[in-house]
Amino acid sequence: MSFDAAEFSARYEQWAKESLSDYQAGTVERIRKTYPYVISTDVPWTPCEGNISDKTIALITSGGLYLKDSQPPFVTGEIHGDPSFRELPRDVHQDDFGIAHNHYDHSLVMEDINTIFPIDRLLELERDGIVGTVASRHYTFSYVNDVVPLISTSIPEVIGRLRDDGVDILFLVPV
Amino acid sequence: MANAADRMGHIKPPRALFVQFPRGGMLGEPRNTGRQRRILLDALHALETMTEPGTVQELPYRWKWPDPA
Repeated sequence: MSFDAAEFSARYEQWAKESLSDYQAGTVERIRKTYPYVISTDVPWTPCEGNISDKTIALITSGGLYLKDSQPPFVTGEIHGDPSFRELPRDVHQDDFGIAHNHYDHSLVMEDINTIFPIDRLLELERDGIVGTVASRHYTFSYVNDVVPLISTSIPEVIGRLRDDGVDILFLVPV
Repeated sequence: MANAADRMGHIKPPRALFVQFPRGGMLGEPRNTGRQRRILLDALHALETMTEPGTVQELPYRWKWPDPA
């Protein structure tokens, strides 16, 4: 599916202008319904061949996670959101994380990162031989409405890193 | 993973598991390691067995309720 950035931008700029006051007031349910979603015209598909136990798996979540001692938090509080991503190593721990995302209740994740980023469970599956390898690098995104920089810059960069790491399976957990 | 059926209609992922869990809790309750592992195994099973692009399977688990037999 091709992405028409100009067409999206025209719709998005109108939506952002009309929605700004609701966003600033925190009444996001209405603007969520009027958001100019990019509607996919087809379904990307790669058949799964071979054994899961030979494959490399990586995680992506949009929960706004970042490494609080070494990475800047995602920008929050703006209607456009933040299209950047953070890279997380496979040996992260609960205490390493901060959360920068204003649009969901963090309490579950603060108690256990595996509710949206099941890295410990994946490492157990690797130990048990159910998956081949847990990738050395994983990725997080946060709240983003202007998807043009997301699609034109962040996503290609993440895809390149996934390919460099030989990732076969990508597990996506939205928030 | 998914918990918003309407958005799945927009996004059309290759394969998806649908849960009636809150945002921030897609893999289940904090420290419920058995459920978290089970959902990952469900995902790997879906990867191996789903043949129709765009299939969305609803999982039978309910928040803070025991898994069905």
